[in-house]
Amino acid sequence: MSTHHANPLDHAEIRQGTVLRYIVAFIISALCMGAAMLAVQLKLPFLHYAALVVALTLIALLSQAALFFGLDISRAQIWKSVSLVLTVPLFIISVGLTVWAFSSLYERTMLPPSGVTQPGMSAPAVPGMGPMGAPSQPTLLQ
Amino acid sequence: MATMTKAGPDTRLWNPEADEHDSISARTFGFWLYMLSDALIFTGLFASYAVLSTPMNLAGGPGPAQVVNITEGFWQTLLILGSVLSYSLASVALKAGNKGGVALGIVVAMGFAAAFLGFGLHDLGGLMAAGNGPDRSAYLSMFFTLIATHGLHMIFGLLWMLVMLVQIARFGFTADVVARLLNLRMFWQFQATVWVLIYAYVYLMGAY
Repeated sequence: MSTHHANPLDHAEIRQGTVLRYIVAFIISALCMGAAMLAVQLKLPFLHYAALVVALTLIALLSQAALFFGLDISRAQIWKSVSLVLTVPLFIISVGLTVWAFSSLYERTMLPPSGVTQPGMSAPAVPGMGPMGAPSQPTLLQ
Repeated sequence: MATMTKAGPDTRLWNPEADEHDSISARTFGFWLYMLSDALIFTGLFASYAVLSTPMNLAGGPGPAQVVNITEGFWQTLLILGSVLSYSLASVALKAGNKGGVALGIVVAMGFAAAFLGFGLHDLGGLMAAGNGPDRSAYLSMFFTLIATHGLHMIFGLLWMLVMLVQIARFGFTADVVARLLNLRMFWQFQATVWVLIYAYVYLMGAY
């Protein structure tokens, strides 16, 4: 926490922002998302494509954290940075464990998507469609 | 052996050189903690989306690849980033106590945000008109919930900006107003961060 100032406009969190810093954050985020969008056109294998999108998104998020939010280890911002670092594992655990649990559950309890037949199961009624009439496509759970 | 010191009239129970209470930092840190808990709401929505975007949950309806428009989503990304940039530049004008600059930055940010919401409503309206509303499948329920939750945050941000425009004109840059402007800056930047995640995961990963 920073020290108190008689004039609120002298506060450290007001003084930290600069025009250059915010414009750079905008440009990095926009370029990363634009590049990720162009990657869709490349038709890479799913894992390569996903890795590229994840990497570009991480760069965009880091630039926003550092340049938009101004997170650093200065006296004014250190506790925001620490609380974020301690919360990020909660994000990862929440999404990761949910996806893992349901992925495992689907494998054991749901009929397989189109084109995949397991021993003792009949093939989908409509070619190219899943057993419940849904088109198949790659997702995090597959 | 430790020596004991008895308390007397000259005993100080506090550090006289310590910082004075900083109400602005206390308020921004409190709001930051609220935003982290808000982020956990989005985390739950992302987890649900991951579970419900599988072919088993489409109920014969369209999947991510048929629902998302990555080009339109990219324009939305530029609009929300532009809105955040404009509000952030308003906070640079705040350093100089420039009321007109702050108000201009906020108004431009509101314009970009309104355009962003227009794109979103157009998308969701188009889906509903085609019979692919949130009642069509579990996947579409989750898609609408995720997009609408972010949209609601944006609408509350817009209302907050309107209130701040009035407060700036009426009270000037008092400590209370400055703390609210800082909190709104964090809130607004947070919306762009959430949208980048939505665009990357729902739109770009879904379009594969």
